[in-house]
Amino acid sequence: MEKIVIDPITRLEGHGKIEIFLSDDGEVENTYFIVPELRGFEKFCVGRSAVDMPNITNRICGVCPEAHHMASTKALDALYKVEPPPAAKKIREMFYSAFYVTDHTTHFYALGGPDFIVGPEAPAAERNILGVIKKVGLEIGGQVIDCRKRNHHVIKMVGGRAVHPNAGLPGGWSKAINEEERKEIESIALKNIDFAIFSLQAFDDIVLRNKEYLDLVLSDIYYHRTYYMGTVDENNCVNFYDGKIRVVSPDGNEFAKYDAKDYAQHISEHVEQWTYLKFPYLRKIGWKGFVDGPESGVYCATPLSRLNAADGMATPKAQEFFEKFYTTFGSKKINGRYQPVHHRLATHWARLIELLYAAERMLELIRDPGITDPHVRVIPAEIPAEGVGSVEAPRGTLTHHYWTDEKGVLTKVNLIVGTTNNYAPISMSVKKAAQSLIKKGQVIEDGLLNKIEMAFRLYDPCFSCATHSMPGRMPLQVNIRNSSGELVRNFERKG
Amino acid sequence: MKTLIIGLGNKILKDDGVGIRAAEALKEHISQRDDIEIMELSVGGMRLMEIMADYRRVFIIDAVMTGNNPPGTIYKLTIDDLGQSLHTSSTHDASLACALEAGRQMGINIPSEIIIWGIEALEVNTFGESMTPALEEAIPAVVGKLLKDLVPAS
Repeated sequence: MEKIVIDPITRLEGHGKIEIFLSDDGEVENTYFIVPELRGFEKFCVGRSAVDMPNITNRICGVCPEAHHMASTKALDALYKVEPPPAAKKIREMFYSAFYVTDHTTHFYALGGPDFIVGPEAPAAERNILGVIKKVGLEIGGQVIDCRKRNHHVIKMVGGRAVHPNAGLPGGWSKAINEEERKEIESIALKNIDFAIFSLQAFDDIVLRNKEYLDLVLSDIYYHRTYYMGTVDENNCVNFYDGKIRVVSPDGNEFAKYDAKDYAQHISEHVEQWTYLKFPYLRKIGWKGFVDGPESGVYCATPLSRLNAADGMATPKAQEFFEKFYTTFGSKKINGRYQPVHHRLATHWARLIELLYAAERMLELIRDPGITDPHVRVIPAEIPAEGVGSVEAPRGTLTHHYWTDEKGVLTKVNLIVGTTNNYAPISMSVKKAAQSLIKKGQVIEDGLLNKIEMAFRLYDPCFSCATHSMPGRMPLQVNIRNSSGELVRNFERKG
Repeated sequence: MKTLIIGLGNKILKDDGVGIRAAEALKEHISQRDDIEIMELSVGGMRLMEIMADYRRVFIIDAVMTGNNPPGTIYKLTIDDLGQSLHTSSTHDASLACALEAGRQMGINIPSEIIIWGIEALEVNTFGESMTPALEEAIPAVVGKLLKDLVPAS
């Protein structure tokens, strides 16, 4: 058996490794997507005060500290049984929308987008933001930077700090928004909407009008029929900050809808010997292995999943693109909702629709007269015991669950982070891409490897959060081993 | 234009906190210098590039994992030393080198001098606030080296 190792994965947070095992006749027999896990988090937390968690958990991840901060703050609301005032909820969601704008923008232009904008066959050294700038022009690069800058400004202004926000408190938010700030944020939200529409137009021009790319999006390589998870509001529209968790089946029927606090009734975790990370699955369906279909408990929680799990978008322009999205893929409406789109590369498009929704939602909230109400905190008065908080992180549903003694000292902690939801689907996508692209031991070309990487990059995975040691490894290493495990060929991709 | 010193890493991931701890230790020595700013960050790529904009020069203190030298070994590096690739794998968006080049192309004022003081780390995948003793011992040494870099031009 031959063994191909891709280690570490280019442009992915943390160091991961893909091992592809080939049979004697050169076909892909199995793939393992192995990622290092940060150890000892629960041990680190137990014995600390729960109120410190929004400022501890926002250090778990250097990519989405805002998501951890928000899930943690909401877990504290539940722990102390306190309902934040309306203005605090609006500020939190508005702040969170600004974060979404920066995060989805970064993914499209710097991480996932280069595959399409520069092209999946382009040399690895060009498939990055420099290649994007070269292709689309410096002006657009400047717009990306401006978008990030203005929204980071909002995050700092509202969240207290630029990188690790600290404004979330049990029962509210530490700081109200005044009229001057409101006006400034309003003008930023308006610019965000223009930028999101521009980005969707760019996707239309570059991907949807390019037959080769569209064929790739529609190809069987990137197709999986699984369950989908996302948070929805009272109208079953996508919401990032709050609502109920909804799961739909591969044919689009609602399978479950529950409060985040009940997650353990719906989600179990499967363990495999070859990885430290666990594979969440739908408890009522059961774990049937890394397989598609309604009989498999594998579910997916991504931008595509959120759209599939919802009946629509809560803002007008995003709803227009939502309709276009499903009609483009030929999805039919059944019982008032579109059938899910299963083409995984469509996640990039779904992410841009979410970008527009985040921008519109930000504007809606900042124009709400109640957002400048100075009453932004209710002081907790109840004795804490247990609390669950959940938000939609850009990479999937994020759940924080804390248990404490009566003084609020943590006795147990459980986190299901966004990407973990998608560990099984990612593994399945990598295997399917490898099976489709490696035939009879065919020599691996750079574009081919990239198509395998595209299979997980679309999920925007973020496994090994917050380890920022300067890299000392090669960006890509490929080992091919024979059936005895001996190294017969070695590739190193230096970029 | 000011000098920026960035303590990079994560204080709750054992040795990954060495850059931030060194930056904290440095603060005491340069409290009188209004031409120097110190930041503690856990970001990479584009975000790091954006933060560096408009400074005259930047020093980054961070954990380094080469595996070739004992824990606590101190390296003085440039961006070029971080790898020949423009997209090494350590960040969500782009490598620092790639982000800096993108910033330059887009007219952002990127510092002409960026020095990285790296400290060889041993354990960066376990949560904890303590560090490997060799890294604790390396902090005064790296602070001393940085202070030499920061001597005002006479």
